[in-house]
Amino acid sequence: MKTKILVANRGEIAIRIIRAIQELNYEAIAIYETPDNDSKHIRIADEAIWLGHGPRCDYLNIDKVINAALKSGAVAIHPGYGFLAENADFARACEEAGIIFIGPSSDAIDKLGNKVMARTIMADAGIPMVPGTQNLKAGEEGLEEAREFGKKYGYPIMLKATSGGGGRGIRRVENEKELEEQYGIARTEAQAAFNDDSVYLEKVVVNPKHIEVQIIADKTGHTVHLGTRDCSIQRRNQKLVEIAPAFQLTPEQQEDISQTAVQAAKAANYFNAGTVEFLFDKDGSYYFMEINTRLQVEHTVSEMITGIDIVRTQIKLALGKELLFSQDDVLLRGHAVELRINAEDPKNNFMPEGGKTVRVYRSPGGYGVRLDGFCYQGFTIPQVYDSLLVKLTVFGWSWSETVDRLRRCLNNFVITGPKTTIPFFLRLLQEPDFQEGNFDTSFLDTHDGLLDYEEDSSEVNKLARLIAEIHQKGENTYAA
Amino acid sequence: MTRITQDMETAAVLKAVREADGYYITNTARDMSQSDYKNRILLHTDLMAAKAREAAGYFSLEITGGASVHVDILRKQVDPFLKLELLREAMPNTMFQTLCRGVNLFGYRPYPQNVIRFTVKEFAKYVDVWRTFDFMNHIPNMQAVFEEVAKAGKINEPCICFSTGPEHTNEYYVKKVQDILDVTGEEITLCIKNHGGLGTPRRIGELVDAIKQAYPDIIIHYHGHNTDGNDVGRIVEAVINGAKIVDASDHAFTGFYGPPPILTVIQTLKDLGKTAVGIDEEAVIASSDVIRDERQHYAQFESQIKGFQPTVQIHKLPGGAMGSSLEQAVKGGFLDKMPDILHKELPKVQKELGNYWSVTPGSQILWTTAVSNVQNGRYESPSGDLKNLLLGKYGPFPFYQPADWIYEKVFGENWKTILEEEGGIDDIEDMDIEQERETLAERLGSEPTEQQLVTYLQHPNDAVNFFKFEEKFGKSYVLPPSIFLRQGGFDLGESISFRDHSGKEHMLEVGPVQKNDDGETNVYLNVDHHERVYVFEPELVEGTQAVVSLSKEEIEELATAGDIRAPFGGNVSAINVKEGQEIAEGEQVMVLEAMKMQTPVISEVAGVVKSISAKVGDALKLGDKLVKIEVS
Repeated sequence: MKTKILVANRGEIAIRIIRAIQELNYEAIAIYETPDNDSKHIRIADEAIWLGHGPRCDYLNIDKVINAALKSGAVAIHPGYGFLAENADFARACEEAGIIFIGPSSDAIDKLGNKVMARTIMADAGIPMVPGTQNLKAGEEGLEEAREFGKKYGYPIMLKATSGGGGRGIRRVENEKELEEQYGIARTEAQAAFNDDSVYLEKVVVNPKHIEVQIIADKTGHTVHLGTRDCSIQRRNQKLVEIAPAFQLTPEQQEDISQTAVQAAKAANYFNAGTVEFLFDKDGSYYFMEINTRLQVEHTVSEMITGIDIVRTQIKLALGKELLFSQDDVLLRGHAVELRINAEDPKNNFMPEGGKTVRVYRSPGGYGVRLDGFCYQGFTIPQVYDSLLVKLTVFGWSWSETVDRLRRCLNNFVITGPKTTIPFFLRLLQEPDFQEGNFDTSFLDTHDGLLDYEEDSSEVNKLARLIAEIHQKGENTYAA
Repeated sequence: MTRITQDMETAAVLKAVREADGYYITNTARDMSQSDYKNRILLHTDLMAAKAREAAGYFSLEITGGASVHVDILRKQVDPFLKLELLREAMPNTMFQTLCRGVNLFGYRPYPQNVIRFTVKEFAKYVDVWRTFDFMNHIPNMQAVFEEVAKAGKINEPCICFSTGPEHTNEYYVKKVQDILDVTGEEITLCIKNHGGLGTPRRIGELVDAIKQAYPDIIIHYHGHNTDGNDVGRIVEAVINGAKIVDASDHAFTGFYGPPPILTVIQTLKDLGKTAVGIDEEAVIASSDVIRDERQHYAQFESQIKGFQPTVQIHKLPGGAMGSSLEQAVKGGFLDKMPDILHKELPKVQKELGNYWSVTPGSQILWTTAVSNVQNGRYESPSGDLKNLLLGKYGPFPFYQPADWIYEKVFGENWKTILEEEGGIDDIEDMDIEQERETLAERLGSEPTEQQLVTYLQHPNDAVNFFKFEEKFGKSYVLPPSIFLRQGGFDLGESISFRDHSGKEHMLEVGPVQKNDDGETNVYLNVDHHERVYVFEPELVEGTQAVVSLSKEEIEELATAGDIRAPFGGNVSAINVKEGQEIAEGEQVMVLEAMKMQTPVISEVAGVVKSISAKVGDALKLGDKLVKIEVS
């Protein structure tokens, strides 16, 4: 009997994983909730198990998922991203049920998922951190400490309540005068809000790049990196464009940050695939942000420039194999970009277009093009899940070739029914800064007019719409 | 002999016409469209005919004005200025002519002076001959137009509206001509506007002769309608007695109420030794040949009743109003009462209301009054326009004021006081055009052009609708009538080709139409070889639950009245209020979730929660009811 692996996810990532499982000549078990009845991932899988009506509760139900794996005879579970992917309890439940969790140990997920603990581990290992202080001393002494910090690292600075969290109890100060004004207020407020007036400082990295490093490690501790990714172009902390490698960095910077990532992984005894995220400042310094203990949406771009199938490697490592390649074997070639084609209306605040049916779906192909999607003609997008339809990843030898290919591919897409992010991306590609590779996390804020595109704007499409309407109504009501 | 061309100065044009041995022809394509096709002849057809019409050598092509400016934007979805621009490109030598209703411009009610001047100024960039009339022959109503036309260096063609009856004597009209000349000076062409096609040929001949006797140098342009089938006769008499320009149009499209065929006029007068100056007969024939096949697509707009109407001499309806009147009768279900209305009531009303000229907007007043009189009792439900007419707001009655009993019926016992206090032409205040420009900019979301503003000032709402149509559907004048006016949809696999506004060729192929369970209709088209689908929401069927969702604006509007609707489709993830609870403006009432995104729903008003129409977990569509708040 074939080895079975359960994919505890849905949509495009489930398909991505199922493909790797099937390529390994294993059987892929899919799971689904009722709203995903028509999802392509359950059609592609070798077997599919219905978990419940959902929505989003059954995919998150550890017992149900473990039971599905046990019932189907799966030896391992790949969690994908989201849902249970970074849930240490789930990894632990797998371990307890004798099922292989394809990912790091529950212990690693636990530690790295806790920001404070993660910071401590990394700081101890000498990984650069955003400069900050311990709790400031009380009264005037603390203020003096703060002034010193400001002089040393410069402004702006975040004044943070130690007991705060989730964005609460944070004040940004732009200079020493503001610091002096805000210091007392911050303490008073912290006392009132959290019953604890302790505060600490952290330097603000202004408009950094978001640089991350894909790492992969086997159980022997053999850890390699698959190069950098630049995910700076974001909207409200949601990545919009992902690029590999982060080519605006010098080769030395790339090497340096990648090695730091390997170090970070080793410090956490990390196993399997993961991503180390950094803030990259204009002066070339960079700071640890977090380690994502899962396969990421944008893993495709690293695969494109290295030729290494990360998911296949993940599965093999989880099943006990050792890495078959060394760092020297990993060659970074060319450029890759991933764009997330979402069913959203960028002009309406990127409002999801859930509930709409895809009437026509035509996708691009050809050299250097990779599509990871689950969309098909006639598919009604469930309202209850995310809006990702398909990830377009293209590879090009040079950056300009890559941009050209992206434009061509976006133009080759025909998706009707829901509005999509395609016209927005086409507009983004026109930005000279994008074409020249100049971007950081402020890109969307500093580039006006990205929403100034017309949908269906060609004259012939407008007229065709009128003709369609004359046809549908049996007369031209605008001429009646 | 001299052909008139567009580049000639006014003086040169008038000189050529005066000295010509023969007569000139105006092709009144606009009036043909209005009288026989409810104004629907598309620019596409006019562009098809342009080359041949240009070669034909007319004095002018009447191609704008009358109701056409309104219908251009309302039904033909073409910019009235763009139309002139494109025709000018195709016909560089032919003068364009308009028909202007004086103070009523191209509409039905008086406009402020500054709007009139602005409108004329903009149109005069394209229009060379300005035929201007007033249905009361009240010259002050035309003055502003005269002045602006002269300023623009274009040709003024004032009209004397013509009708029949004991008051309509040569003396009256000759005097009227003098009144006009006093205002305009002599560098004009004078139109005898026979909008009903009234009178016999002999009557027209006498009138032309009387005017020529009084003013030997005056250029008379005879305009008529062929409603009784005898306009060629009137044209012949007019020319024999000295008219220098006459109106007719292309025989491929001539019908029953508009102009007679040009070729018939030429042939008839040739036999009488009168030459059509500048005319290339072969081009006249060619103009008809190139558009003949198009006529079938306009059949739906031709008159419900076929055949000439010699009884026009009794009811006097203008040719331009015949089609629409008959259409109204059919739609209103009173076609059977038409003989009564046309042959008894209308002539009676004419006489009772002063025997003025039955032409826009006066003809509409006569017509609606007659219809109302027959249906509701005589003068029982007078329209606002009839009241204005009686109060003299359009101008003084030319011959006599209607009888007191009509005033009493319409205004009641106090009619004398009302007439005294409210009677007479109103001074219409100038409009704040800059304010209008701002309003339009707001409605369009962009700065309007001068032309857009002019169009807007004529018919504000229809203009905005048209601009929005163009934004959505593009420049649809490129579509032939076989597509634009298609009835019953297209055939499966039918190929549609056209050239767009920028000159690009396109090919469409009609694919299947699919109806979904949810009532949506999908129309598949191959557009330049790319498959596309157009989705149509189900139409609202009366008496059933509204399936069509509300627009964003409507939802926002309801919210300000305390009727909170779902601003997007999603699930209710939390409800923050209870019935009977008092809430403040800006307070959160609910949380909706769609595709992982939670969005709070905020109350726009302060008040008391009256009802909650959704519960947690409900899947809602855009516009579904959420919470009702009694505004405090």
